[in-house]
Amino acid sequence: MTDPANFRLRVTFCKRGRLSMLSHLEIARALERAVRRAGLPYAISQGFSPHMKIAFGAALPVGVGGDSELFDLQLTRYVAPQKALAALQEASVPDLMPSAARYIEHTVPAASVAFPKSTYVARLTALPEGGVVVPETVTVVRKKKEKELAVGEFLLGAMELDSVADDGAVAQLRFKLESKPTGSLRPDILLTNCTDAAGNPLQIATITRMAQEA
Amino acid sequence: MRDSLTNLWPQVAPLVASAERPSRYLNHEFGAVCKQDADFRLCMVYPDTYELGQPNQAVRILVNAVNARPRLAAERGFIPAPDMCDALRAAGLPIFSMESCAPFREFDVIGFTLAHELVATNVLEALDLAGIPIRAEDRAEDDPIIVAGGPCAYNPEPFTLFIDAFSIGEGEEAIPEAMELMRELRLAGAPRADILRALAAQPGWYVPSLYRVRSESEAQVAGSWLEPLEEGVPDTVVKRLYEGFAESPGWEPCVVPYAEVVHDRLSVEVLRGCARGCRFCQAGMMYRPVRERSVRNIVESVKAGLAHTGYDEVSLTSLSSTDHSQVAQILAELNGEFAGTGTRISLPSQRLDSFGVDMAGLVAGQKKGGLTFAPEAGTQRLRNVINKNVTEDDLFAAIDAAFAAGWRRCKLYFMIGLPTETDEDVKGIASLAQRAYDRAKKAVPPEQRGNVRMSVSAALFVPKAQTPFQWDGQIPPEEARRRAHLLRDSVKYKAVDVHWHDPATSFVEAVMSRGGRLASAWVEAAWKRGACFDAWTEHFNEQAWRDAADEVGLDVEAVAQTTFEPGYVMPWAHISTGASTGWLAKERRRAAEEVTTPDCTFGACSACGACPGLDSSNVLAALRVAAGSNAAGDDASAGSSEACGDAPSNARPSRRNPYISLLTVEDDCVQENAVPECGGFDKGGERR
Repeated sequence: MTDPANFRLRVTFCKRGRLSMLSHLEIARALERAVRRAGLPYAISQGFSPHMKIAFGAALPVGVGGDSELFDLQLTRYVAPQKALAALQEASVPDLMPSAARYIEHTVPAASVAFPKSTYVARLTALPEGGVVVPETVTVVRKKKEKELAVGEFLLGAMELDSVADDGAVAQLRFKLESKPTGSLRPDILLTNCTDAAGNPLQIATITRMAQEA
Repeated sequence: MRDSLTNLWPQVAPLVASAERPSRYLNHEFGAVCKQDADFRLCMVYPDTYELGQPNQAVRILVNAVNARPRLAAERGFIPAPDMCDALRAAGLPIFSMESCAPFREFDVIGFTLAHELVATNVLEALDLAGIPIRAEDRAEDDPIIVAGGPCAYNPEPFTLFIDAFSIGEGEEAIPEAMELMRELRLAGAPRADILRALAAQPGWYVPSLYRVRSESEAQVAGSWLEPLEEGVPDTVVKRLYEGFAESPGWEPCVVPYAEVVHDRLSVEVLRGCARGCRFCQAGMMYRPVRERSVRNIVESVKAGLAHTGYDEVSLTSLSSTDHSQVAQILAELNGEFAGTGTRISLPSQRLDSFGVDMAGLVAGQKKGGLTFAPEAGTQRLRNVINKNVTEDDLFAAIDAAFAAGWRRCKLYFMIGLPTETDEDVKGIASLAQRAYDRAKKAVPPEQRGNVRMSVSAALFVPKAQTPFQWDGQIPPEEARRRAHLLRDSVKYKAVDVHWHDPATSFVEAVMSRGGRLASAWVEAAWKRGACFDAWTEHFNEQAWRDAADEVGLDVEAVAQTTFEPGYVMPWAHISTGASTGWLAKERRRAAEEVTTPDCTFGACSACGACPGLDSSNVLAALRVAAGSNAAGDDASAGSSEACGDAPSNARPSRRNPYISLLTVEDDCVQENAVPECGGFDKGGERR
């Protein structure tokens, strides 16, 4: 933190358990309320409709969890990051718990665009026989129009299938998707279009974004 | 009685994942408390979806009140949206509570809050989804006891087939006390019938199975349609009043929802009751007497509530918040406290006669949405009939103040089909709205006049039980449509919009509001024919209700539309709000004479009977001072409320009201530790 006038706090938090089913908007509202409960000196926009200066990372679909999600909060004065984190943790529910907080420069790009590459892990309750078949294209509906997305444009590398044994899951699928300025491919939609060798759908228990990178 | 509940979440989760808006079913909100140390449980159900039910104050208050007692626990319950009801049935799963995700059937008691007439079929939907027999008479020993309360319990008859016992009045004390009584009896092995008998002996409880229905002629002689079948069962059930309301803290722990709900903000109840005496208004009759909380209590409650919940908006709720004797001081203190924090302070119901320049300034601090006023009727004559006690000048002064302070949109609420209404009164609505629009335009700078919007919302009058207009029939739906069209055609200004509610739904409301026991069979038949979520326009099934009426042989037109002489014994005569039937009849006669009755909290007692009947009185934080047209008049005209003229005549009375007491500092528990510490306020998802 070189500029003492700029108190931009980047907070890492999780979205997990049944709260994975919250929408991006619901998460945003819940985080704003947690910030207010924490009593942090948040900045307020000046204007017709004043609101908290808070910016959220790239949205996760309903049903997809995240291990290291981000939001950036503008404060009006310095609060030691560990103190801010402790106050936020005190004000948060377990399944939306913050895990880290640090100050970032005002020149650092917004969390929503800075990390276009996301690594996901899907837990499967049945081992796909003969491996996972990834489709070449996926049809999505946007604004009532059907659109065909080429999976290769978004999927980085191959999907890695490993067997695991915990909590009802027998296998996990790890893959990396990159979002483009023109659009992105949702991990849950990609997975529902994947099959085993015989063409059966995958048995998905959970999907979690493990990491985001530039 | 059981030590633990079945957790259905593993089976429910896959259905939730593919449901519309999963956040309705998740629980785990901040503030949700799942009390483990209990062996007798209540599932408190708001019979509609989570978005409508979660903000409900009755659910919040009663769940907290029950959880505060040892060995008792309470959870929230809502009706799943139609897609989820279908999914549960397809999967063979029952309706579940929020906190434990447990089947309703496993609770000892299920409570329904009957907030309005159109929730009736949803109650049946919930019982059916729970696997509990719809009819009380078919329930077995170990089925939950089904209780209900709320506004519709003031005419409980249309619900009597389904509900084992009704709690009449305020439940803060009545519900936990009844839970303790039922627990003791269950522990002692008492059969269901004995538990209900014991409840019937408690003040404020009505157990319909312990009464015989009289014939019409018997009822008119006896003064009640119901005759107790046993000793110890009261002829008349008088509502319970929560005596400690005024002194109790305005903040208590609440759940902060994730889903966007209808009132997504902190609520602080600033006062309870309203004695304005509007003759159509059920709430104004059933929450008497008026009880105000103190300024200090309210301000501290808002501060604590916002800090604990993280909301950025607080609503100062009541039937008429601007009537609080110290509303200006409350707003001034809160405005000072929250200046520059982006916190909104909203006042939901504005009285026309008390919305002047000062009030406009106090609530003008933030973003201005629309402002809503309720003149209710278009002419002074009809406003005098209904005892609304506001004048055109009150409306115009409020409009001047609001538009000068920056508002640009205003909605005016009216009713059509009020007793004695003529076409002149309907045209009067159009005239009033257009003149209000002219005033609004004058109050804003010329370059902004194009932004001024006035909208008129007209609802069909529904005669409500326990009001002076309970004897008046509703106009038929065709006539309602004719009058609505007359109103629409009478409005010549493009900037004045007119909206009205569907008369078909208001018709069902009128039947439910005035029906006797046969209406209960009608509800059951309508639900069996697919009626559910009737309050949702897209789900309202008029045909199901029509066919159901034919099936059970109920003359629904007669129930909704017959006008009786004041004094005719109505089907809810065995239920008392404290206001006497004799007074209601007197008020109805005064309406016919176009004579107004002043609000007793500003002066003379109007002898409704609630204070002596309930052994209570109005409790005010300070003496109230009437404003607007109601402030006019001097001692010479005082007490001459019999006068009828162009303006309401409730001038300042000279008689003192023996039923007004003032809150004293010693009463006010906020001085000590009224605002509860965070003890009961848990992080969502953590089991206690």
